[in-house]
Amino acid sequence: MKNTLDITKQTAIILPFRPVQISRFRGGSLDWECCWSKDEIAPESCPYVGEGEEDLYTSHRRRVVEKCVECPRFKNDLARMKGSGYPLSDVLPFILTEFQEQKSQMGAMLSFLNSKTREIKFLREVGLVLQTSMDLDEVLSIAMTAITAGKGFGMNRAFLLMTDKERRNIRGYLGVGPKDYEEAWRTWEDIGRSNFSLKELARDFQKTKLSSEKVKFHDILNQLTVPLADQGHIFNRALHGKKPILVENALNNPDLDRGLARILGVDCFLVMPLISRNRRIGVIIADNCITHKPITLQDMQSLETFAFPVAFALERASLYERLQEEVAKQKGANQKLREQQELIVKMEKMALVGKITSSIAHSIRNPLMVIGGFARTLLKGSPETDEKRSYLESIVRETRQLEDVLSEVLDYSESLFPVMDFWDLNELIATSLADLEGVMEQAGVVCRQELSPELPMVRIDYKQISYCLKTITATALAAMARGGELRVESMHDGDGVMLRISDNGKSLTKKAQEALTAPFFQTQEMGEGVGLSLCKTILERQGNSLSIISRPGGGNTYSIRLMTRKENI
Amino acid sequence: MAKLLVVDDEANIRLLYAQELSDEGYQVVTAASALEAVEKLQSDSFDLAVLDIKLKNESGIELLQRIVKERHTLPVILCTAFSCYKDDFSAWLADGYVVKSSDMQELKDEIARVLAKKQKAATN
Repeated sequence: MKNTLDITKQTAIILPFRPVQISRFRGGSLDWECCWSKDEIAPESCPYVGEGEEDLYTSHRRRVVEKCVECPRFKNDLARMKGSGYPLSDVLPFILTEFQEQKSQMGAMLSFLNSKTREIKFLREVGLVLQTSMDLDEVLSIAMTAITAGKGFGMNRAFLLMTDKERRNIRGYLGVGPKDYEEAWRTWEDIGRSNFSLKELARDFQKTKLSSEKVKFHDILNQLTVPLADQGHIFNRALHGKKPILVENALNNPDLDRGLARILGVDCFLVMPLISRNRRIGVIIADNCITHKPITLQDMQSLETFAFPVAFALERASLYERLQEEVAKQKGANQKLREQQELIVKMEKMALVGKITSSIAHSIRNPLMVIGGFARTLLKGSPETDEKRSYLESIVRETRQLEDVLSEVLDYSESLFPVMDFWDLNELIATSLADLEGVMEQAGVVCRQELSPELPMVRIDYKQISYCLKTITATALAAMARGGELRVESMHDGDGVMLRISDNGKSLTKKAQEALTAPFFQTQEMGEGVGLSLCKTILERQGNSLSIISRPGGGNTYSIRLMTRKENI
Repeated sequence: MAKLLVVDDEANIRLLYAQELSDEGYQVVTAASALEAVEKLQSDSFDLAVLDIKLKNESGIELLQRIVKERHTLPVILCTAFSCYKDDFSAWLADGYVVKSSDMQELKDEIARVLAKKQKAATN
């Protein structure tokens, strides 16, 4: 304050008492420099009366108490009084000094009170939000913003470490604050310009920065993991003592944890335990890594008050999050159960369909065999010139086609009921391809097998996968010219096994690929080649997959991924 | 000339078998039921039997088991409309398995293969 006086020096002057009449001092016998003796003064006659204090011109008492006691002119008048032998001039400085001390103390108390009121108001505001929030990210954002924002506790940087009961350690979870001076300057300038309230700042932080902040201090956070059993570590000491620990001059103090100071890059930091209902939730480390402003006891006390609602909110939000996960799991399980029930109903229906299909197919196959068989017999015996020969050929051809459709229908109805077991894929490949040796020889195609040894057993229906391999091989052969090469490979693929069949024949168009693998009963018509789509259906039913890649220059690769473990099908 | 016993409950199929297999140079005897087949097996000797699995009120598999038990040297080929029995362990006793088709080439090939195998075993 501009007009504050150092009156302590003045009090050193002790004036001898001389009895002098008051009237002599009150009136105009002495010409006083200060206005203390006047009931009313003219505007601007006292330079210490400022704007907005104009009522002091007419308020004698308040002017003396608020202005004159600190006015240098008043001091001069007191000195003159003493010289003139005014009877109270010796004690007046004592009274004045005491008055000023009291006034100063009152001012300090008022200031303290104001600061505490602000703090309580701030804590109440933050506490209310923390109390009502169930969202862990929101709680984190509010807590960390409150610690690091100028409108909050104004620390430069804060780290949150959470206790992990399963792993029995304390682990770095989130760091908030600038990494260097430039970032600090930019951030603080932005915040200054935005004029956000603390709540708005926290919301903005959660929306725009939380994800990036979670990884920003990854390097530091990774080094902050401490076992809960390490009783001597400062984090555990703070948690056990349930009191914050202020570390100062850490780099030069052998008694303190210099390792932690080196990780943080500061020699003064605060370790604040987060405890909720005797449960150790975690620890907050706060420092002033940019400004290097000392952390005061008052900072520590304020943060300690703040730590309780933060710990409580963190615990509640974590529990809520876990509850949500459990609810989601439960919902997932219910959904799965419903699906399983629907599947059972569907399977029962399919079983019935399968039985009927199989029965019809059997009933049709015998007459077909007779019709087609005798047609062939007649065809064999008829001379090449016989006009009716073409009729017989038609019967043979159509019968053959009907028999193919029947086989596909029966294959499909059988595919509804896979018998799952663990099989050696390489053995399956070798056996299945051996059956096709004649066909490949006829097509003039060379088959190269590249089978990876020591593959894990695959969980499949042997017959169906063998069917898929044979069907894909037959499809590939159809696209190949004589002299082509077919490659069949088996290999590890993550936790599964990959079966790959590659040809160097004509590339399948995208449309052809889609048509080949379209769901069996939706787009394909019987007798127009349901082979690959049936393969896809079979593989998907067993929890496996089929993909086709066609190279523009020629050649197609069919990849089947098979599972090695019992999965949900 | 190899003598074959063909067992099928469908008369037309028996006729077709007889026609086609005779053309291949086999002597063909047919039976319409498991009972008739057993009688013919007891009164005559055969080189190979072709059995249908689904016979009226009878099972070709049971007949197969009986043949294996009583005449273990007689080779048997199962010829059926159902492909599903191919992987049924009860059908593994048979020497061959063919799915019924109007094109009887597969059956003819299988008969030739099984007879050749039998012949080879006999000479050894």
